[in-house]
Amino acid sequence: MRSEHIPSQDSHRAAVIIRLEGVNKVYGLGETTVNALKDVNLTVNAGEYCAIMGASGSGKSTMMNMIGCLDRPTTGHYYLDGEAVAEMDDSQLAHVRNRKIGFVFQQFHLLSQVSALENVMLPMIYANVPAAERKERAIAALQQVGLGDRLNNRPNQLSGGQQQRVAIARAIVNRPVLLLADEPTGALDSKTTQEILEIFGNLNTEGMTVVMVTHEAEVARSTRRVIWFRDGQVIHENLKPEDLMQATF
Amino acid sequence: MDLVESVKMATATLTGNRLRSALTMLGMIIGNASVVAMIGIGEGAQRFAADQFKSLGPNVLFIVPGNDKARNRTLNIPKTLVLGDAKAIAEQVPSINDVAPQLQNQVPVVYGSKRKSTLVIGTTERFAIVRDYNVARGRFIAQQEVQRGTPVAVIGSKLAETLFGQKNPLGERVRVRGLSFKIIGLLASKGSFLGNNQDDVLLVPLSTLASRLTGRTSPYGDEVTFISVSAKNQSQMAAAKTQITNLLRLRHKIVTEDDFTVRSQDEALSIIGAVTGALTIMLVAIAGISLLVGGIGIMNIMLVSVTERTQEIGLRKAIGATQADILIQFLIESIILSAVGGIIGIMIGAGTVVMVGVLTPLKSSVSMPAIALAVSVSGGIGVFFGVVPAQRAARLDPIVALRSN
Repeated sequence: MRSEHIPSQDSHRAAVIIRLEGVNKVYGLGETTVNALKDVNLTVNAGEYCAIMGASGSGKSTMMNMIGCLDRPTTGHYYLDGEAVAEMDDSQLAHVRNRKIGFVFQQFHLLSQVSALENVMLPMIYANVPAAERKERAIAALQQVGLGDRLNNRPNQLSGGQQQRVAIARAIVNRPVLLLADEPTGALDSKTTQEILEIFGNLNTEGMTVVMVTHEAEVARSTRRVIWFRDGQVIHENLKPEDLMQATF
Repeated sequence: MDLVESVKMATATLTGNRLRSALTMLGMIIGNASVVAMIGIGEGAQRFAADQFKSLGPNVLFIVPGNDKARNRTLNIPKTLVLGDAKAIAEQVPSINDVAPQLQNQVPVVYGSKRKSTLVIGTTERFAIVRDYNVARGRFIAQQEVQRGTPVAVIGSKLAETLFGQKNPLGERVRVRGLSFKIIGLLASKGSFLGNNQDDVLLVPLSTLASRLTGRTSPYGDEVTFISVSAKNQSQMAAAKTQITNLLRLRHKIVTEDDFTVRSQDEALSIIGAVTGALTIMLVAIAGISLLVGGIGIMNIMLVSVTERTQEIGLRKAIGATQADILIQFLIESIILSAVGGIIGIMIGAGTVVMVGVLTPLKSSVSMPAIALAVSVSGGIGVFFGVVPAQRAARLDPIVALRSN
């Protein structure tokens, strides 16, 4: 499997979106320290569609926070789209999250008091996109996820699947290099799950790099690469999704 | 993120929870309304007092028996001023225009079957000039009538209305303590002074009142209740006061402690001003406390809001809001709460002031300094009490915030 690893120096291959080098994450102080990530090395190229899997406590959530620039490694390096983010301060990280990453969460996390359109416009407000362009791009993003007719509905007027589609539209509207989804179908029924996964698949087909944290093999199987975590370490970094059920760890 | 967007976001949040926003603003509304109302009414009270003193007549000094020390010891005011003092002042003090001694007593005035307890003032022909009374009909008391003790009277408009209604009082006779007085004049209305209606009076010659009604109570001549003096002009007031004091000390053979007091309007006015001023400051302080309480209310609700909206804050941070963005957003929310509350409060306060001005004699008016004070204090409160919750929001860790319930 190590042979599948694509070194970032390999310039004639696809551009590298995520590159972690010797990343450690230690929580707590003194005797009660927890090594949430231990010497993690990982590369994800542009256009990949990956799932990060593992049992709870395996470090996959910490990994998701790390990749999403919500957290910084205790030691090691992280390059997102070529930028060294491990050394950045909070406001630089906020800027990176805004421009380069689109988040999709299990609980959707939509603002309940404003419309779908306004929810999707939110990341562009923080990116200082002019108002007219914001609206245009938000409408386009909502159309892309099949919600062109629900622009002015508030989240409580939408089904769970529709709410998650609004969240996806919000994630892609700033044209990020990475779409990062944390259990995106965890709150949805199986039919809606398929619809959402289809949207992720389509986005990936159009060139979007997608990384999804999930514990459901069903969901992971829709991806093209599975990264398996255990005890804070990557134990398989390029598992074939179709082999998932047979794999024993 | 630009400020316009921050304001829009804050407005959207606040209008999304109207009842809470309104209740939070209530503290600021009440605080600001009371500050503006109290200052406006306080100033109205001071203006009212000033006008009242002006109605006593221009450049008037009052000489009253006794001194402030004696007044602290006993309620029994010494009878140390006599008609002779008034005459001496008129003849010997150069800086004055006129002197009007007066002897007064609250006694019943009877006309036919009607009876009214009234302030009967015994005075001289100079009274109308010194005290700035105008005669509406008929004439004022003449010098000879004062000298002879003629039983004539000039009636105040209020008393005339009580006793005679619409009837012309001139030529009618009223009885005071069994003595019949012929009405020779009707005074023009003058309004009330500190609650005393200056039109509810009956003016009679001093000598008549002294000899026939009260009798001689002082061994030095006809006793008077007080003496009004009008100085030549405003700049002569101090001189007149000194000259009168010296003259009366000589006449009363005083060595140590004066048995009379010379008061100017300005002194009385400044006493009243000090009292109403202190009262206003106290009321404004109480109103200020309610502003403070309103501010604490805002801080309280904003802290609750930060806790409730932890997930929202986490999400905003995840999608790219910086600490500064979150800080500004929450700060603007608290500023809007305090500013809108402040504006509503100011309008209510101003409305109250205008209503008080219309419904009561207090000439209260909306004071611009009061509004400036209220605006700056409420803006300051919004920032001051908004900073702590806003900082708490800004410093939230997005990972923790997103996972909170």
